[in-house]
Amino acid sequence: MTERASPRLTSERLIPGRGGLARRQAALLRLSTAIAAAHDEAAIYRSVVTGLHDEALGYNFIGVFVVDEATGDRVLKASVGWPDVPVDWRVPFGKGLSARVLEDGKLHYTADVTRASEYLPSLNSGSEVDVPLRVDDATIGVLVVESSEPNAFGTEDFEILTAAANQGSIAIGRIRLLTAERRRADEHKALLDTMQDLVGELELSRVLQAVLERAVSLLGVTGGEVAIYDEDRRELVVVASENIGKNSTGTRLALGEGAMGAVAETLEPLIIPSYHEWLGQSGKYADVTVHAVMAAPLLIGRRLVGAIATVHSDPNRVFGPEDLRLVNLFAPQAAIAIENARLFTSERQRAEEQRALLATMTDLSSELELPKALQAVLERAVTLLGVTGGEVAIFDDATQELEVVASEHIGKDSTGTRLKMGEGAMGVVAQTLEPLIIPSYHEWLGQSEKYADLLVHSVMAAPLLIGGRLVGAIATVHSDPDRIFGSEDLRLLNLFAPQAAIAIENARLYTAARQQREYFETLVENSPVAIVTLDREERIVSCNPAFERLFGYTKQEAVNSNLDALITTEATRSEAKEYTREALDHPVHGIGRRSRKDGSLVDVEVLGVPVIVDGKRVGLMGLYYDITELLRARQAAEDANSAKSQFLASMSHELRTPLNAIIGYSEMVQEEVEDLGHDQLSDDLQKIHTAGKHLLSLINNVLDLSKIEAGKMDVYAEPFEIGVMLDEVTATARPLIDTNHNDLVVRAPSDLGSMHTDLTKVRQILLNLLSNASKFTERGTITLEVSRKAPLTEDGPQLVSFEVSDTGIGMSPEQMDHLFEAFSQAEASTTSKYGGTGLGLAITKKFCQMMGGDIQVESASGRGSTFTIRLPAEVAPAPAGSISD
Amino acid sequence: MAKILLVEDNEMNRDMLSRRLIRKGYEVAMAVDGREGVDMARSGDYDIVLMDMSLPEIDGWEATRRLKQAAETKALPIIALTAHAMAGDRDKALEAGCDDYDTKPIDLQRLLGKIEALLGQST
Repeated sequence: MTERASPRLTSERLIPGRGGLARRQAALLRLSTAIAAAHDEAAIYRSVVTGLHDEALGYNFIGVFVVDEATGDRVLKASVGWPDVPVDWRVPFGKGLSARVLEDGKLHYTADVTRASEYLPSLNSGSEVDVPLRVDDATIGVLVVESSEPNAFGTEDFEILTAAANQGSIAIGRIRLLTAERRRADEHKALLDTMQDLVGELELSRVLQAVLERAVSLLGVTGGEVAIYDEDRRELVVVASENIGKNSTGTRLALGEGAMGAVAETLEPLIIPSYHEWLGQSGKYADVTVHAVMAAPLLIGRRLVGAIATVHSDPNRVFGPEDLRLVNLFAPQAAIAIENARLFTSERQRAEEQRALLATMTDLSSELELPKALQAVLERAVTLLGVTGGEVAIFDDATQELEVVASEHIGKDSTGTRLKMGEGAMGVVAQTLEPLIIPSYHEWLGQSEKYADLLVHSVMAAPLLIGGRLVGAIATVHSDPDRIFGSEDLRLLNLFAPQAAIAIENARLYTAARQQREYFETLVENSPVAIVTLDREERIVSCNPAFERLFGYTKQEAVNSNLDALITTEATRSEAKEYTREALDHPVHGIGRRSRKDGSLVDVEVLGVPVIVDGKRVGLMGLYYDITELLRARQAAEDANSAKSQFLASMSHELRTPLNAIIGYSEMVQEEVEDLGHDQLSDDLQKIHTAGKHLLSLINNVLDLSKIEAGKMDVYAEPFEIGVMLDEVTATARPLIDTNHNDLVVRAPSDLGSMHTDLTKVRQILLNLLSNASKFTERGTITLEVSRKAPLTEDGPQLVSFEVSDTGIGMSPEQMDHLFEAFSQAEASTTSKYGGTGLGLAITKKFCQMMGGDIQVESASGRGSTFTIRLPAEVAPAPAGSISD
Repeated sequence: MAKILLVEDNEMNRDMLSRRLIRKGYEVAMAVDGREGVDMARSGDYDIVLMDMSLPEIDGWEATRRLKQAAETKALPIIALTAHAMAGDRDKALEAGCDDYDTKPIDLQRLLGKIEALLGQST
């Protein structure tokens, strides 16, 4: 430092009236001394300008500017020779000659300011040197020196000014560090206030006092001190003091400060023959009559845990190597005592922290406690930051708004205030998710009118985040216009933000869990299904009102009873027990009969499911739905259907007996009257006969359909030659085909072979299709095409295809939709015109299905129809009565 | 000409079918219930029996079974006639020993075909 304070002065002097070399060196020494004596930043700035404004140096116009971190402005902190420019005068970012220094951190010289466009005149003409003030590699300000003469400065000046600026910078750096350390200490204190960790330290100081006393007597010194090293604050704290002229316990020493500070820094012992002549002495010991000092660091391995110092007040005594050897005997004892105490304390601290954390978690698990918890967090933040007040708000996901829940000294109780995203300081940080410092709130464009009535000067706000998700916002305010926020404040605020965020998140999770529980409780309470929960021992834990209604037991009666004992009879007990046992393991579903309190039985659908919590089966849940009505309705429907089928079957049978007589007699009489030559009577008898036949086919169809529906229609499989069957069918159909003067074309290869299926049904199907074709075609062609087809699937049966096509009236797509439904001819009018029951195709389709085949139709209005039937050549053996659909 | 025994309890059906068969040139004897049918078949000399299934006294199935069990009537062809157009009825009739089966109302041509087929076999 001394070397830097004394630059080698080599260049010629340009400024007239300067003193000689010796005078300039004296002036620089004075400057160094003044800077070293300064206790705050303002004093340093003053020392720099005053020191440079020395006759021996000859600088007349000097200013020190410091950069405002928030705005980037340079703010004048001290000046000489600028009577019109006040302290705190601001040069905006980027303006003026000195701005260049901020850009590159280097000295800039302007030989003729009138030629420089960036010049902000304080003099009309002349020259200017701008020198950076640098702390920790950052340019924190500028030293500006002007002359009214152009070309007034040279190399020597640059060296002098650089040296002055460096000294000032170093001093500023140290002061800032100190300030930060102090604040960190305060912060530490605030955070650890609740932790009672001082007991151990008291004990420790007693041990160290004893060590010190023995060292003092053994070394025959006047007195001494022991300090322990505080790692967090990087300071030594004197905890034992013996006969050094005052009780120095509690004194704090920075690293490098005083004798103990020096050995703490170098980690080497140190002997100071004459303390008051020693340059490194600490001001804290200025009032102590100490002559010689010997100090040693206290180390565990190479780690610093403290320092010990012994002093002679007798100027005739000095320390030598033997003393050093002796002190080295005591140092390890003291070091071990300190280390033991530290371990003990930190262990206890950790335990205390854990307990405090647990207590906090418990507090925070209640929603009601949330505002209280946040208020506590806010109060601590306000105290630590030294701000006027602040607010904490919670983010409401549903409304996308912030709601203030804690408010401290901001001029009114703002709790309950709601802020939209982007509204006010907290609204902005909620949107950007970045912290924000507002130097002057009332000039800020984003201010919310909700805070217009408050005396708030500056604001610092930060979002509260859980894993990047917004849960709230915190803001602190200064009402004092002289106070502004900086990065250090932000660092502190960021200590509290997670605490507040966690408090909010815990409350949210708690609320969500409670809401979910309430939701499910409501669901269960209002469910029409009886719900009961059981523990592992199959005792009832709870049941819902539907359970009470269904079984007639009150909840009080049911709880703690064995479920199966309660709602089963002898007959159903074993089945119910089986359900219960299975339901403990996996869901079971079934239908059973249970008994009510009054002994009556009820049919129920039962669902049993295991209840698994955290992977463990804790019991089961039973759901019972009363299906009495359902079963009754189904039985009624089955009965009705069976009655219908029975009625149709017996009715058709009863109708056929008289019909036999009508048909038979009319046929017989017709033959007889023909023999007698009464042709006119024969025609009338033919009409009776035809009407009888039609009635018979109606009855047969109804009977067939009712049998199919009752599941009483069987497939009677027998082998037959397809060709023979076709001959029979075409012969039977011939009169029908001739009626409307149609032609029949049969296309069947001679090698069709045989089928093994229900011959009667195949016949009936083909006759039905040919009869339909004949009815709806006049003077056209009806084609019956038969062929063998390959199986549809690899292991499917061989198929025989029967295709009946006509050139008749055809059908529209709408007509085809209901073609295969019972009692649906395409239109009601067709029934009267073409006759038929409307059952033929329904029966045909059923028959096809019964034989394992299907039927398809293609048609268009006026363009004929084609019905295609595919039947397996061999019908699969099917259990009797299995066909129904 | 072949002699037919018609076992039928319904008077109209009996009258009508017998007359039509006679017109076709058959000789027709008639029984009105199962018991009478069995007795007549044993004592008479018939070529074929047309047996209604729903009969009083003993029904057509039982009557058929008895005739087919007795040595002297075992070879006598029997055609079952029934109004029960159920597949099961046909099987039941064939199981009882009927040689063929036809449903009522009678389609005379079809029935005559079945009669001639059985008479052709037996001669």
